[in-house]
Amino acid sequence: MRTHCTLFLTVALLSATSLQADLRKARDLELAGSIRAAEQEYKADGGIAYAEFLERRHHPGAAAAYEKLAASSDANLKRQSLRRLIVLALLEGNKQAAEGHLSKYLAAGGTNLSFSATTRPAASSGLIEIPGPIRSFSRMAALSPDLTPDELLGALARNVVTNGYQAAGNNEGLDQTEYLKLVYRYLSQAKELEKLATTNQTITIEQCDSTQTGELLKVLGYRMRGACGGDLVLETVNASRAFLTIDSGFPLSDLETALKTGKPFAYDYKPTKVPVLYGPTYWNETKEKDKPEQLFIEFFMSDPQLCRLYLGLSKLDASTAEDLKKAMPVQRLRAFSHVLDFFGGMLQIRNGKVAVPGDPRSAAVWTDLLAANPDNGPAFLEKLISKDDGWLAAYFESLSRISGPTLDYLSEPNRLRRFYLALRGKITSPGPARPVFRASTDLMLLTSRLRMEPNGKPHIPGGVENWRNLFINHPHGKYDGKLTKSAQGWKDPDDLLEALFALSRKAVDNEPLKMFLSLSDLNRGRKEPLSSATVDRMIKDWKLLGAQYAALAEMPELSEKSILQFLTAATTLNGIGDIQFRADAVGCFQALEAITQILNRNRLLTVPLDAAFEPILTQIPLAKNPRDLFDAVRASIRNLLKSAGADEKADPQIAMLGLLSGAAKGVEDDTHRVLIAEMQKVFDAQRLVSLKTIFDIDDNLEAPSNGGKTNVALVNRLSGRITDQQPPRSSLSGAERNAMAFGYWVDKHIENERKTNFRAIVDKAGTDPVKLKEARGQLTSFLRDTIVGMAYIHYAPPGAQILFTNPHFVRSHDFLGVQGSNQTWRTTEVFGTGWPSSAGGRLVGSLVSLPYALAEAEQNFLIPTREQALIWGDLVPQMIVSAKVPRYWRVTPAQLHFTSLHYRAGESILAEAALDASLRTKAIAALMRYAPPARSEAVNAYLEAGKVTDALDLVTPSEAFNMAAYMIQANEANTGSPLVAEIQRLRQALPQELSAAAISQAFGTPKPTLANSYQPQLLSLRTFPTLMGYSSRILAESWESSNIYFAALADELGMKPAELNVQIPQWTKLAVEKIFATHLEDWPALLRSLRLVGQEMRQSSKQTQQGSY
Amino acid sequence: MRKFAALLLLAAAVLGLTLYAQDAVFKVKVDMVVLSFTVTDSKGKYVNGLKYTDFRVLEDGIVQKLATFAEGNRPPVQILDDGSTKPLAIADNAAKEGELKGSSDAFVGTNVFVLFDTSNYMYRSFVYASDAIADFVRGLDKADSVAVYTFSRNLTRAADLTRDRNFAIAGLRKAVAGDDSALYNGLLLTLRDAAKVPGRKVVIVFSNGPDNGSMVAPDDVRSVAEDEGIPIYVISTAEVNKDPISSGVFRRIAGRTGGKAYFAKTWQKQVEAFESIREDLGNSYTITYYPQTNPNDGFRKIAVEIKSDAAKKLRVRARPGYRPRTS
Repeated sequence: MRTHCTLFLTVALLSATSLQADLRKARDLELAGSIRAAEQEYKADGGIAYAEFLERRHHPGAAAAYEKLAASSDANLKRQSLRRLIVLALLEGNKQAAEGHLSKYLAAGGTNLSFSATTRPAASSGLIEIPGPIRSFSRMAALSPDLTPDELLGALARNVVTNGYQAAGNNEGLDQTEYLKLVYRYLSQAKELEKLATTNQTITIEQCDSTQTGELLKVLGYRMRGACGGDLVLETVNASRAFLTIDSGFPLSDLETALKTGKPFAYDYKPTKVPVLYGPTYWNETKEKDKPEQLFIEFFMSDPQLCRLYLGLSKLDASTAEDLKKAMPVQRLRAFSHVLDFFGGMLQIRNGKVAVPGDPRSAAVWTDLLAANPDNGPAFLEKLISKDDGWLAAYFESLSRISGPTLDYLSEPNRLRRFYLALRGKITSPGPARPVFRASTDLMLLTSRLRMEPNGKPHIPGGVENWRNLFINHPHGKYDGKLTKSAQGWKDPDDLLEALFALSRKAVDNEPLKMFLSLSDLNRGRKEPLSSATVDRMIKDWKLLGAQYAALAEMPELSEKSILQFLTAATTLNGIGDIQFRADAVGCFQALEAITQILNRNRLLTVPLDAAFEPILTQIPLAKNPRDLFDAVRASIRNLLKSAGADEKADPQIAMLGLLSGAAKGVEDDTHRVLIAEMQKVFDAQRLVSLKTIFDIDDNLEAPSNGGKTNVALVNRLSGRITDQQPPRSSLSGAERNAMAFGYWVDKHIENERKTNFRAIVDKAGTDPVKLKEARGQLTSFLRDTIVGMAYIHYAPPGAQILFTNPHFVRSHDFLGVQGSNQTWRTTEVFGTGWPSSAGGRLVGSLVSLPYALAEAEQNFLIPTREQALIWGDLVPQMIVSAKVPRYWRVTPAQLHFTSLHYRAGESILAEAALDASLRTKAIAALMRYAPPARSEAVNAYLEAGKVTDALDLVTPSEAFNMAAYMIQANEANTGSPLVAEIQRLRQALPQELSAAAISQAFGTPKPTLANSYQPQLLSLRTFPTLMGYSSRILAESWESSNIYFAALADELGMKPAELNVQIPQWTKLAVEKIFATHLEDWPALLRSLRLVGQEMRQSSKQTQQGSY
Repeated sequence: MRKFAALLLLAAAVLGLTLYAQDAVFKVKVDMVVLSFTVTDSKGKYVNGLKYTDFRVLEDGIVQKLATFAEGNRPPVQILDDGSTKPLAIADNAAKEGELKGSSDAFVGTNVFVLFDTSNYMYRSFVYASDAIADFVRGLDKADSVAVYTFSRNLTRAADLTRDRNFAIAGLRKAVAGDDSALYNGLLLTLRDAAKVPGRKVVIVFSNGPDNGSMVAPDDVRSVAEDEGIPIYVISTAEVNKDPISSGVFRRIAGRTGGKAYFAKTWQKQVEAFESIREDLGNSYTITYYPQTNPNDGFRKIAVEIKSDAAKKLRVRARPGYRPRTS
């Protein structure tokens, strides 16, 4: 509320001078988030301010409001309105209307706007035919039906490369996979069906009892059971053919109905014409032997290297590909197809030259490394892709993806050469592009995440000496003999970086780089970097505790003393001999750590973080038995609640749930109530014992010492909750139990709890205060489950089917791991998927990556809305994490609107750029900072052609957002757009609230792999490709568009930011269920699904509010 | 108004709606129990024509007062306080309020959810299984509704609940084969959907057993079916002895929910299994009741006794009990 008032006053004052008195109220209402009331006020005025208000709010009535003003006699107003109408029409995809408005605009004296008169030559192409409907072929080839014809062959090529072939068992060749065999079989069946499509290329059955029916059914693998008429049924006669019929989506059911009812059956079986880049002749040149009967598509799929070349060339922009094609014959290009596929995306020839990273000062080094001058673009690229089996291309690509001080540093001529030589090593084979997934992950992480100090030098955690010691002493095993030797002489940060580049080429786990990036990220938000001594300790403890550093990185306020206490505590707990007690102690410690992390992330602590953490770090490790542990945990919880401002007398269960919702004390609204109710439901489903019950019993056990009596009802309540539990394996047969993989200690934990007869314990203790006090130790494992459960429910994914179905899921968290592997402090992992291997899947390891593990476990419960949807193994969990970890209680209406304005402004600028060549040049240059050259050029081409919606289909919301931010900052977006003007006004009025850091915190996403932290943030990096070792996890973390898109949607629908706490997880679930992707990097499919959710929400909001706010 | 409220309550009970007040979370038991069962004689033949007065239902030994009664696919009757009966009327708006998918006659017939395994494990028998399911759908009683779901790693709603057999078969024929098998995940989601539908419902699983993708265990899923009163029938295309673990699980989840497990490797056996299920549906009784006060919040045992069967020659097959829903 206070924030709103500040915003209201500040902007009101600033606006007062520029606004007419009657609009001030409207403006004030708008800035305070009262959108409906503001609309009424603006509407009453009816002037340009009203139309601009509607445009800012993405209101469908904006065009009508401008139309009205365009009829004005005021020439300026007329031109201003017509200009906006042109933009709005282009954004709607209505070029004809835009041209109409443009004519009026020019007639009214408007200048500087025109559609491009020149037409860019399209890339040469030709058409091929694929038999049968494209829908059927796409089903068989696992291609999304949403692909445009132009995209189809590229997507097919990718599937052939990644899924079409496998190593042959007995030689060095490749065998087709079952996937590809089926595609070939389908094509064979389709050719047969094509022959039956005699009338207008349509398969026609006029009569049930006919030769055609028999022929068709034979090809389909079916036969008739029963005579023609109502009793007829189609049944399988040839399983292989019938499988293809069903799997390709042949309308068998329609055919059966037609045969039953005696109605004719007609099925359009025209072959599908599909564009081929450069035409089929170009690719046919690689044919060794001509097989006239072979279709082009069959030939194409038979050559995975050719498919890879197609994929590689389709990643280049059209003119660059054309230049390269001219310079190299197809057979030679084919030999480097793998390099083009992985690293070609950032290559570009402009005016015959290649812009090298670090240009112009680095040009000489590139020339020297390649023995070719970048000014001779085609020759330079030929050398680049053919050099060192792809290592130089990988290096070039990694550096091309970055900009700013890091690029300045790395592209200094001496370093550029030195680091490359380290990366390539002496033996270049196998190159980074040889595997199906690219192997240069570490290189990309190193270059994109290297942190630079304000003095332009790289940040080295601790100092070079720490890393020198690591390489010389290598406490976790030797990394590289030569590096150990060379480390003796290290003095400079470049010595370390050289070693990290050298290790980046290795396929094995690059531990030093992981440590380096983790500790760099740990230092990133700290006021003072960690001392050399602490870094040294952390390097030594890496093997055991490295995964935990992500939690510490998220809490930069934590003092160095607390960090050292954390390391000591964890090591102490790890040394506990009694395994069951160790699991309880570690579970309690990690759960409290997780809760502290949540409170700190949501800025709910009213005391310094050290003070909130102190009892956890100091008291829990001192516990020698369950009773001590209980006392320490209770003290820690009490301290945490107090540190977060909870009333000491408040019910601890209610207070904790309130805090875990992420809302500050005193927040009372529907969203908050819904969140609390959801959390309570999960808590009940897990049959956990509330903190209040546990603490009441504890107090009760103390009562006799103080002359009171034991409360039997309370003890009964706990006993009831315990006996309510069925052991997870109670109903299993012996065979099932024997088939289970693991879970001894988890089962023992649950079984011990079940056996706990609290009533008997209390009865036995009688009134002996000492014995009663001892009995509290029996509460410890229940307390562990409760606080571990608190962390689970905070991150519970939308739907939370596992948490609602398996009542032992929280209790089953295995802090020890499979026997023989100490997983206590490692990342959280999902174990026991599939039956019979466990009593339901469970999570193993620490709680440090609980949000991701929960999302990973839950992902397959999402129900795709279309058949054959590809749910991405790593992308979907990250999407759920991005929706679930951030909370929006502190986000202000101004921040929501500001974010939305940037996204809309980005799109609006691009629309305007279709009519303004100068603006287009600037916009494409800005876009190219975030999107790859080929895509940026494709956007450029669409804009030149006036096809704005096609262009926008190629721009992600985060790219539009970043592009607008960059152009506004650089003063390159002064087009008179009301969106840009509003951004400038708001930023001037509220510099702190709308700073880049504040918006990053408000609408960012957690990046546990990329930034070693769950702290939501926007990194504005280019979207990453799929990387070996990380699959699509890094790709998913670099996808920042969902929350930006949803922020814009919420702003448009007039929602309060707090509502996003409930809506974003739901919208994300809907979006995932609508994804119909072809491959891991198919983010346009994700964009389409976001837009579908947007359409649904708009429609539903329209129905609810009858077309108004 | 009162009637409307009562109907809403009924809909809520069937749906298992959770009610929350504005300021605090209230724990409300929505406890109407739906119980379907069959009665067979010593030769295994169905015994039909019994009246509600022939039955005595006990829950943890406590005799229950029946609310409705139905035999086979006949419309259910409401049992009034004086022991008389009248046809059960469900207003359309009641269904609407509860966001039910069914219409006002949703309580007539059975809502059959077919869950078809399209994972890699079913690759070879996929088309024959599809034929067998299509035959089953064609042969369902006119009053029954059917939904066809498929699963591999994820669930797909191939055809939502419908009485249009062609629509259901068309959905079935669009199924796509391949991928991992998450049978119990799929079964759970199917039960969740079935639980939202008013009236009598069953789930029929058509699978050959292996599961390499589920995160939930069969017995947790079985508990959901038990609590919701949804019998699970399983048709396994594997031989009973080939995979004893899956066979055991199938028997257990079917038996404990009032359904049956069939092991039918051949197409002919599969058709017979479906025929047997159809018979079961047509020859079962469905009663509902609101449980009498019972302090047991854990598993409650249900017993159905036939008053006239003093010699205990008849056999009742029903789910053994349920856990009351609390939220």
